[in-house]
Amino acid sequence: MDWTPFSFIVTHLARQIRPGEITFSGVNSTLPMLACLLAKRAFDFDFTYINVAGGVEPQPVNVPLSSSDPAIVHGSPAIFANQDFYDLCARGGLDLVYLGCAQIDAEGRTNVSAIGSWENPTVRLPGGGGAAVMLPTAKRVVTWRTDHTPRALVDKLDFITASGNMTALVTPMAVFLREAQAGSRFRLEVFNPQTTVEDIVARTGFHFSHEGAAPAMPMTAGEQQALEMLDAGGRFSAAVNG
Amino acid sequence: MTLVAGLRAASYGIPFQPVAGVHGSELARINGWQILRDPYGSGSEVYVIPAVHPDIAVIHAAEIDEQGNARVYGSPFWDHPLTRAAKRVLVTAEKLVPTDRLREQPELTLVPGFMVEAAAVVPQGAWPGSMHPYYEIDYPAVERYMEDRDGVLEQHLAAAPETAPR
Repeated sequence: MDWTPFSFIVTHLARQIRPGEITFSGVNSTLPMLACLLAKRAFDFDFTYINVAGGVEPQPVNVPLSSSDPAIVHGSPAIFANQDFYDLCARGGLDLVYLGCAQIDAEGRTNVSAIGSWENPTVRLPGGGGAAVMLPTAKRVVTWRTDHTPRALVDKLDFITASGNMTALVTPMAVFLREAQAGSRFRLEVFNPQTTVEDIVARTGFHFSHEGAAPAMPMTAGEQQALEMLDAGGRFSAAVNG
Repeated sequence: MTLVAGLRAASYGIPFQPVAGVHGSELARINGWQILRDPYGSGSEVYVIPAVHPDIAVIHAAEIDEQGNARVYGSPFWDHPLTRAAKRVLVTAEKLVPTDRLREQPELTLVPGFMVEAAAVVPQGAWPGSMHPYYEIDYPAVERYMEDRDGVLEQHLAAAPETAPR
């Protein structure tokens, strides 16, 4: 089965989760929310899923369109609200945090503040929502873009909102990885077999190594079933695939 | 997170609050945030965020009694630091309930009445947002509000529960 931008992103966000980890998805993070719910259904290991609505190990009956909808708390045996999960991150207790970006550079720094100069922006963005604290304090951070363009994947950010332990960037075409240490740069790890490394190079604003990059492993039956169930009616995939 | 650090400083009654992270962010430069070295000798350097004192906090609660004791179900999100940092607290609530009901489970009262200056009972008051456990987000209303055309704001306000004729 061919990948869609939606299935490629959600599946590869989920594949970043490791056994035993405590993972977190925040506001405006519908795809990471779906990735965590997919991993719960498709992977045969335990991990803990916390979300920005205060849910801990939620069992949502209806998965909401918004990743901060209280519906994503349904079935939680505990409420772990904003102060709690931010403090957990600050003291080093969150293993994997999903944080969004408008622009990202080769060292995994993100801009969610402004396009153009801070003083005279052409676009004023919503802001970090905790990114400046979470990116350097979470053990690993993963981000995503639903487009893959040199405008978003840039050589130089217009503004550095956050800097730190970014380890993965997932787009419809590619998965880039880097180490959570200063100076480490993204390298191409996995590419969508429906595209080519040359095409990815052409559409990426920063330079990267693609030595050893491999085509994506196909979706497993478990991943496919879980995604179909989560996206019943196609309401999530429609927003990404158009 | 840095905003919450500012609110915490205000609620603790101190001028600033240390916060983890922020290193490598240009937010520190544009906001003029300062770094302090641990005075107890660990060698670590920590950003300190100045106190944020909101004049007024307005929160929407599930239930409130005549004294202003306000109960919230589900996640409190930022209600706790916000109400403790603000100089004045106003509450809207879905329902008026007898105080005896709140006495049964006082741990569910998020703001005690002595902190609340004024309150109003506004059913559906979180619309088009959600109010756990009464109603969920009205996604179609949010989508209509985000349309780029004349009259959107007026139509949104006219449809709001507090102004719509019942």
